Amino acid sequence: MSSTKRNRDFCGRTRREFLWEAGGGFGAAALTSLLSLDGFFSRQAAAAAVANPLMPKPSALPAKAKSVIYLFMYGGPSHIDTFDYKPRMVGMDGKTIAVKTFGRGGHKSEGRIVEPRWKFRQRGDCGKWVSDLFPYLGECVDDIAFLHSMTAESPIHGSGLLMMNTGKLQSGSPALGSWVNWGLGSPNDNLPGFVVMLAREGGPINGAKNWSSGYMPASYAGTIFRATGSPINDLSLPAGTTRPMERDVLDTLARSNERHHAARPDQSELAARIATYELSYKMQMHAPEAVDISQETEATKRLYGIDREQTRDFGTRCLLARRLVERGVRFVQLYSGGGHNDDNWDAHGDLVANHSHHAGATDQPIAALLKDLKQRGLLDETLVIWGGEFGRQPTAEYGQGTGRDHNSYGFTMWMAGGGLKGGVSVGATDELGSAAVESPFHVKHVHATVLEQLGLDPNRLAYFYRGLDQKLVGVEPVEPIREIIA
Amino acid sequence: MVRGIVIRVGIILLLAAGSVAATGANAPLNFTRDVKPILARRCFACHGASKHEGGLRLDNAESAVAALDSGEHAIVPGDVEQSALIARVTTADEAERMPPEGKPLASQEVETLKRWIKSGAAYQKHWAFVPPERHAPPDVKNKLWVVNPIDAFVLAKLEQAGFEPAAAADKRTLARRAYFGVTGLPPTNEQLQAFLDDSAPEAWPRLVDTLLASPHFGEQWARHWLDLVRFAETNSFERDGLKPNAWRYRDYVIRSLNEDKPYDQFIREQLAGDELEKITNDSMIATAYYRLGTWDDEPADPQQARYDEFDDILSTTGQAFLGLTIGCARCHDHKIDPLTQSDYYGLLAFFADVTPYADTSERDPMRFSQWDMSTPEERARRAALRKKADDIRAESRAIEEVGVQRMSAADQEVARTPDRTALLQNKLERHLNVSEWTQYQEINKRLAAALEEIKNQPPPDSALALAMCEPHPQPTHILMRGSAHAPGDVVEPHFPAIFGDAIPKIPAAAADARSAGRRRVLAEWITSPRNMLTARVMVNRVWQHYFGRGLVRSTNNFGELGTPPTHPELLDFLALWLVDHNWQLKPLHRLILTSNTYQMSSTANERALAADPTNDLLWRFDPRRLSAEELHDATLVATGQFNPKMFGPGFYPTLSKEVLATQSRPGDGWGQSPSDEQARRSVYMHLKRSLLPPLLTAFDFPDVDATCEARFVTTQPGQALAMLHSEFFNEQAAKLAARTTAAAGRDPQAQVAQAIRFALNRPATKDEVAAGLELMDRLTKQHNLKPENALRYWCLTVLNLNEFVYLD
Repeated sequence: MSSTKRNRDFCGRTRREFLWEAGGGFGAAALTSLLSLDGFFSRQAAAAAVANPLMPKPSALPAKAKSVIYLFMYGGPSHIDTFDYKPRMVGMDGKTIAVKTFGRGGHKSEGRIVEPRWKFRQRGDCGKWVSDLFPYLGECVDDIAFLHSMTAESPIHGSGLLMMNTGKLQSGSPALGSWVNWGLGSPNDNLPGFVVMLAREGGPINGAKNWSSGYMPASYAGTIFRATGSPINDLSLPAGTTRPMERDVLDTLARSNERHHAARPDQSELAARIATYELSYKMQMHAPEAVDISQETEATKRLYGIDREQTRDFGTRCLLARRLVERGVRFVQLYSGGGHNDDNWDAHGDLVANHSHHAGATDQPIAALLKDLKQRGLLDETLVIWGGEFGRQPTAEYGQGTGRDHNSYGFTMWMAGGGLKGGVSVGATDELGSAAVESPFHVKHVHATVLEQLGLDPNRLAYFYRGLDQKLVGVEPVEPIREIIA
Repeated sequence: MVRGIVIRVGIILLLAAGSVAATGANAPLNFTRDVKPILARRCFACHGASKHEGGLRLDNAESAVAALDSGEHAIVPGDVEQSALIARVTTADEAERMPPEGKPLASQEVETLKRWIKSGAAYQKHWAFVPPERHAPPDVKNKLWVVNPIDAFVLAKLEQAGFEPAAAADKRTLARRAYFGVTGLPPTNEQLQAFLDDSAPEAWPRLVDTLLASPHFGEQWARHWLDLVRFAETNSFERDGLKPNAWRYRDYVIRSLNEDKPYDQFIREQLAGDELEKITNDSMIATAYYRLGTWDDEPADPQQARYDEFDDILSTTGQAFLGLTIGCARCHDHKIDPLTQSDYYGLLAFFADVTPYADTSERDPMRFSQWDMSTPEERARRAALRKKADDIRAESRAIEEVGVQRMSAADQEVARTPDRTALLQNKLERHLNVSEWTQYQEINKRLAAALEEIKNQPPPDSALALAMCEPHPQPTHILMRGSAHAPGDVVEPHFPAIFGDAIPKIPAAAADARSAGRRRVLAEWITSPRNMLTARVMVNRVWQHYFGRGLVRSTNNFGELGTPPTHPELLDFLALWLVDHNWQLKPLHRLILTSNTYQMSSTANERALAADPTNDLLWRFDPRRLSAEELHDATLVATGQFNPKMFGPGFYPTLSKEVLATQSRPGDGWGQSPSDEQARRSVYMHLKRSLLPPLLTAFDFPDVDATCEARFVTTQPGQALAMLHSEFFNEQAAKLAARTTAAAGRDPQAQVAQAIRFALNRPATKDEVAAGLELMDRLTKQHNLKPENALRYWCLTVLNLNEFVYLD
């Protein structure tokens, strides 16, 4: 068995289960270090390895991407107002037609058409039709693969967010970012492997359930990272403590701990714990460095729109996302929008005001991120995902106004970089965008594609729990979306 | 799933060589471990329990050797040549070769099958599916070491392997081990000293009895149980709404354990506390067991969500009480364990009368999940008080009306509107005569008093519970592929076939019945002394929490994908012991705690460590890290802040605004508790599913959405950051410094030593005193800290010591 195979196989079990079943007595150092996560078999493991459950692991398949930046358009952007061009709806505004929809308002069989509110024009060499909501992103379409036939199992925010993030409608399962770190580890032990950056409007519905590691150890859960203040909880020194003072405390602590360990030399988890203090001391330097955008040129900051109030928040976070993947962070998730109602893309009332606001805040930063990654040669190894938990209906939610209810029967997501084709569009919704009709894709297909590009086999990456090999994509084999893989 | 099995087997074969529990290539074949996975993966789909193509059925011995439709025999025990199975899997003719899909069997797989057939093709029954047997404690050489039968079982294996048990741990180590193990708290120095001073041979059993009688015992062991039943106090999903009175279930568990309620009764109350002969408030509170799970108040697919709720209950029940991962059979027959889809839905049918947590249209759990516990007298008293107030109000109203009649027509109109109160305030007095007005004021005084009395009544006591059932549920169908929209055959409530029990006869519920009467039948079956799993699973859990892992390490999974017991005879012995002792757990705790096995030192011995690094043979006591809760609670004890108040609604630890900012409505559903409330044990922390306190999760508090059999024990830098920088640890360091100064005065040397004594229950060593003095000296001289601040950093250092966090 090659070391690669062995490692992948190991993912079939929790470390603990694996060990228990194997009965102990290993020699392979690489394995031991993996096993040491839970302190159960750490005696022969190197202390540093024990301290780091996110130790990099070789991928099972040739990896095209190393990192993921997931731009989560929370609330559900309307696909027919953004990237899913519906020319035949022009002139239909206000007409009542028969169409099956399912949103928070329940099942309906007819509705009043709200014609797409923005003009579309062809952009890029590929001639992709893009709405005028995204003048900047329009410049990047030759690097983007559009998925126009997305479907999800719930048109409700709570379960919809859980499905998009964890593949399940119920909470309790690990998020995509947890799976990626479980499968690959993270090459930078000074930074978390799974970072989440929330919008200034607040967290999304479900809060921490969206980046939970579920039944996996908490080490695989997303870490909230902030652009201002202390980037990570408890990272900053308490008031009154200086770094040299903490050094003195740590030195005293280490000496006492080493004396304690000397009497128990076989217990390498004790050494591991000593090592975590040094690691945490280093993190206090590295994490603030990672968020220090004063190191960036003015031109770069302008590119991301950090000089404008409207784009500053998301622009800053996009720039941080680039800085984090540069530093080896595996999975970065940014939320566009937070809280409730119009604080995110959930345009039930005034579609124009809502989408103008959120697209206005994100268009330039996202385009800047793609261009910046590309010019630095990072786009090839960074997979960028864009999408909400669902799309929106072609018809109005209420008798008056332009608001649209949720739609999980058909919507658009896009991905770029990470070994995917650019300038392609796959799948289609019907003439109204009410449902996917041509090669419909499920959320699982997106997840499978992400894992595949990272060199993980979506149908084998498994975690033994509750008597089953749990997989992100579920029990039935799921194919990645081959049409967009370069 | 299927591929996972290959992986598992591959790894076992790869790693088996050189391990103590050798299962290598030369070891005898084990059907369950070596052969069955191959059959399950490559054959059962067409030749298993549900399909018998060509007349071949391979999932049991009788049919596997029977004649096929062709007249051949797939398996002829002992004769590889005559066994058609081998010919069919090895033939070069692709049209003939089995299995027809996928790659042919690997050569090692064929070899395994050949060896198995040659050796007689035995279908051994999985150990857990054979009832426990009575084993006499084995004979051992070193009889002196045997205090009770546990030691005999453990020592026999050690002697067989040529090992000696570790020496006894010293008394201080032992006391700390037991205080934490039994109560989850460290001893106070006074408690410890009393034990150290007690040189009588019965000192140890006496301490064990004291600890088992401590109310903290129930708190510590309740937390273990709460992990299993995925206890939390909110529903998850968008609103993550509160489950009112969930804390009563937590208190019920603590009380049940403290009063040593027999485990069978404990199960019966949780599964059928509303159907027992004697229904009490306690037994009703116990049925909150059905209400603890996540609940989607806005499901995209209500029918499917309903079955997800059933699955949550069934999967939890299967794992927690029976150690069976029955949930695997929801969509299809279990691939490995002999559990069929019919078994799954047969068990599910017992729960058919369980209503959802609440009606999704009203989202109010009152009707289905809140049980009014007031006595009839209390209800009558409350009604009487209300009537009294109503009567006085009528008197008052009568006089008001006298005045109103004397007012202008316009004002009389106003008196019919919500503005009446203001009108009366302004104008009533001048429309009444003096005696009417005096009388009116007197009546109003009485009214105020009556209302006050109502207000002073305690609110009606309600409990989270199975408050309403569906006594005549619809028939239960097998759901094809687990889909609520694809009902198949109807199944009656029945037990999994492997148990070999008859289908229970459950009479239809009477027309006016409250429930269907099925859950009680299930509870009786689970708690029957004949049930081969219930007692084994429970004794294994008690063992797990004392020794860091069970005799069966996969404590929720006794099935074939679980791990076999390291000491099967001991496991059976303890299981039967529990049943013999009226299912009472405290005698079992006592047996374990008083054994020499429990009292061994954790010091390693080179030879044993090399041969058995995972301590499968129990040659020493495994050291362990404190759990998240133990760490929190022990810190409070060390700093003198610990508040021993038991029971009642939980407290809210203070969360930083950054943590609250992860919510879509920051602060929603999170309260504020005074600092003395926050110094209570962590078992009383309010548990909100989407907002678990970071201090707990950093130290591996589990996800609360599904049953957790064992905590992870991770070591990561976030823990160091929390212990060095969090508000909690810095505050506690300051408290420890204050306590230290109060006890030791201003002398730095005495302070350094006193802080160690408070935190570690022992005198400081010379090295420690020197280290502490040096640190305080540097902090005062080089960093210009006042002495009391320097002491605070020493106290923070002490709380961060490995010795504070790990137990020997």
